[in-house]
Amino acid sequence: MASTIISSSPVTNSDRSKRRKKKKSAAAAAAAQQFKQAEGSSSHARWRTESQQQIYSSKLIQALSQVQLNPSSPSAPCRGRAVREAADRALAVSARGRSRWSRAILTSRIKLKFRKQQRRRGGGGGISRARKPRVSVLRLRGKSLPAVQRKVRLLGRLVPGCKKEPLPVILEEATDYIAALEMQVRAMTALADLLSGSNQASAGSSG
Amino acid sequence: MESEFFLNAGMNPVPPLPLHFNPTSSNSPPMPAWRSLPHSSSAMDMSNANYEQPPPPDCFFGNPNWDRSTDHHTGGLQYESALSSMVSSPTASNSNIPTESFMIRELIGKLGNIGGHGSNNPGEISPHLAAASSYGGSASNSCYSTPLSSPPKLSLPRMDQFVKTMGLNSSVAEFSADPGFAERAARFSCFGSRSFNGRTVQMSGGGGGGLNALPAMNGSLGGGKLPRVSSSPSLKALGSQKGNKGSPPPRQDGGELGNSSASPEESSLSEQRIPNAAGDGSGKAAAAAANEPNPRKRKAAPKGKAKESAAARPNASTAKEVETNENPTAKRSKGNGNNESKSPAKAAEEDAEAAGNSGGGEEKHSKGNNNESKPVEPMKDYIHVRARRGQATDSHSLAERVRREKISERMKLLQDLVPGCNKVTGKALMLDEIINYVQSLQRQVEFLSMKLSSVNTTRLDFSIDPLSSKDMYQRNNSGMAHPMFPVDSSASAILGHHHQNHHGSNSNSSISHCPLDPFALHHDQFQSFCDDDLQSIVQMGFSGNGPDADYNSGSSPNHQPSSSHMKVEI
Repeated sequence: MASTIISSSPVTNSDRSKRRKKKKSAAAAAAAQQFKQAEGSSSHARWRTESQQQIYSSKLIQALSQVQLNPSSPSAPCRGRAVREAADRALAVSARGRSRWSRAILTSRIKLKFRKQQRRRGGGGGISRARKPRVSVLRLRGKSLPAVQRKVRLLGRLVPGCKKEPLPVILEEATDYIAALEMQVRAMTALADLLSGSNQASAGSSG
Repeated sequence: MESEFFLNAGMNPVPPLPLHFNPTSSNSPPMPAWRSLPHSSSAMDMSNANYEQPPPPDCFFGNPNWDRSTDHHTGGLQYESALSSMVSSPTASNSNIPTESFMIRELIGKLGNIGGHGSNNPGEISPHLAAASSYGGSASNSCYSTPLSSPPKLSLPRMDQFVKTMGLNSSVAEFSADPGFAERAARFSCFGSRSFNGRTVQMSGGGGGGLNALPAMNGSLGGGKLPRVSSSPSLKALGSQKGNKGSPPPRQDGGELGNSSASPEESSLSEQRIPNAAGDGSGKAAAAAANEPNPRKRKAAPKGKAKESAAARPNASTAKEVETNENPTAKRSKGNGNNESKSPAKAAEEDAEAAGNSGGGEEKHSKGNNNESKPVEPMKDYIHVRARRGQATDSHSLAERVRREKISERMKLLQDLVPGCNKVTGKALMLDEIINYVQSLQRQVEFLSMKLSSVNTTRLDFSIDPLSSKDMYQRNNSGMAHPMFPVDSSASAILGHHHQNHHGSNSNSSISHCPLDPFALHHDQFQSFCDDDLQSIVQMGFSGNGPDADYNSGSSPNHQPSSSHMKVEI
């Protein structure tokens, strides 16, 4: 899955949706169009529609199935992170690139890969250039005096792709992001339960 | 504004115009406005002189007050040019506006100059004008359209008449045929954007009709004569040029209510006159800024009033009426004064502001002269804001208010989304809540992903089935494009080994446990999720359709609880 994701270099929405998950996204998109007509325009309604949930679930399952880290069997956190990234990407694809955070999620991987390549090519020289020092979110606490401004920046960092946006943009993105995150949590919970449930059942039956 | 226009107009063709301005003779109301203009005395004189000249166009515009006294042949050209320009300007409704007539004259004059019509045009036009002119005036100054002169009406009928006249008269046709005029007219059509369009609207397209008539006439003429009838870019350039100069003068317009609509146009004309090539680049910006505040100033009063106001612009009394009739919300005079005082600075500010604000907190002083419901400015899109009662009306505060409203509206949306935000008030606390919530959601996702990864590992041998089901899904999807399918297939594949009952009971038990044990992170929130979604899912879904229900009902049990049983059919 990572390779497939990375292979899609263009950042445009259309390209992303097309190349990202290949057939899956295309199929899901077709299905989405079929079912999305009824959904509301607001972000709340959009992320709450069943159609959207289904779309995301299908994408999630495909993404997860592509996470083949088990053979290499890295540490659990690493795998967990991979799963999480896959889930986030699936969520971003479900957003169809209409929001900043979704686009940022989808492009972040490309940028990361790009930076890695740069690093490889440029040896040591490119590292400092390519990678920016990451300031933790909490470090903002001690910085600026106006509380509201500080919090706005904090929130901007939480929502992917909104680090330097003005407040109204951040609020809008946060609205959509929260709705999408809720849907993601719901879907992942259900999936986890499903799998764990079947796991238990299989373990029970086999054992 | 208008005077500005006149000044420039007068300057361009014939700089030294020994015209004598006689304010009292002409429409008195506009004169003081002119006087107030900070232009040089000479310019004033010129404008004044020009002002005097336009009686013929005034008659056309139905301005009975016009002083026919001065027909300065020297200004004849200007007359014509003014007239032509006036034709385009829709503000001529009430036509007490000497400026408009002046513009028309100027246009006509220019027309005469250009296009090699030479003597023809003046000759052709003048008799036409003369015929129309009840106000007398020289041959060159004679009124434009005979029929128009008959009843001094409002601009609407006048413009219509004018249009008809234009269409009918060959001279007019030639006049319109003049490429310069056409260009100018085209410019005008685009120029005033906000103000202009507003006027057009008010006058029920009178002004616009006039302008439209020109292209129409041109078309009727066979099109060959006018290669560039509607060159909006040129018009815009004109407008920009004009805007450059137009901004200060329009503000100066003291008592005029909706003068800004006229002023930008006129000033634009004047701008055009003035070879202001250098100012083009900045002029455009300034013009945008100028146009913006001007139309902004005059936002939409009721249309009827706007008409009146536009017509009454030159008339102080009428203006006063309109003022009184206007919304009591805005402090017009004060706004006016504000505008005037801040006009030069405002242009720059608004420029920056407009550039900065995408939505443009365009303040709108409810002068309501041009009651343009929506400025159709192609260059920028402005959100018209009306100052509320008792609130400041300067550009900054209005823009700030718009911005604050946007933010508060979005915060309200977020409040609905984030649980527990109803109790807190204030931006800081709400932001805190939102941040906490987003962080909790992200943590949940991480936890779930860890869980899924662990589950995946244990069930890796089963991944084959999902994969196969995925293949099935893909194949099926190509045919059916049904999102339910993959879930169904994969889930059923996963669960295929188990008895349905077994699975159901297991799932029930596991799911019922889940809210408490594994997802104890944020118990409350998760409870809200699980209790509502999962429980309902479990009870309804598993007992019914199996795993499908998970995703079906999981999305919105609250919304569509009944459909959780079945696949979603939309």
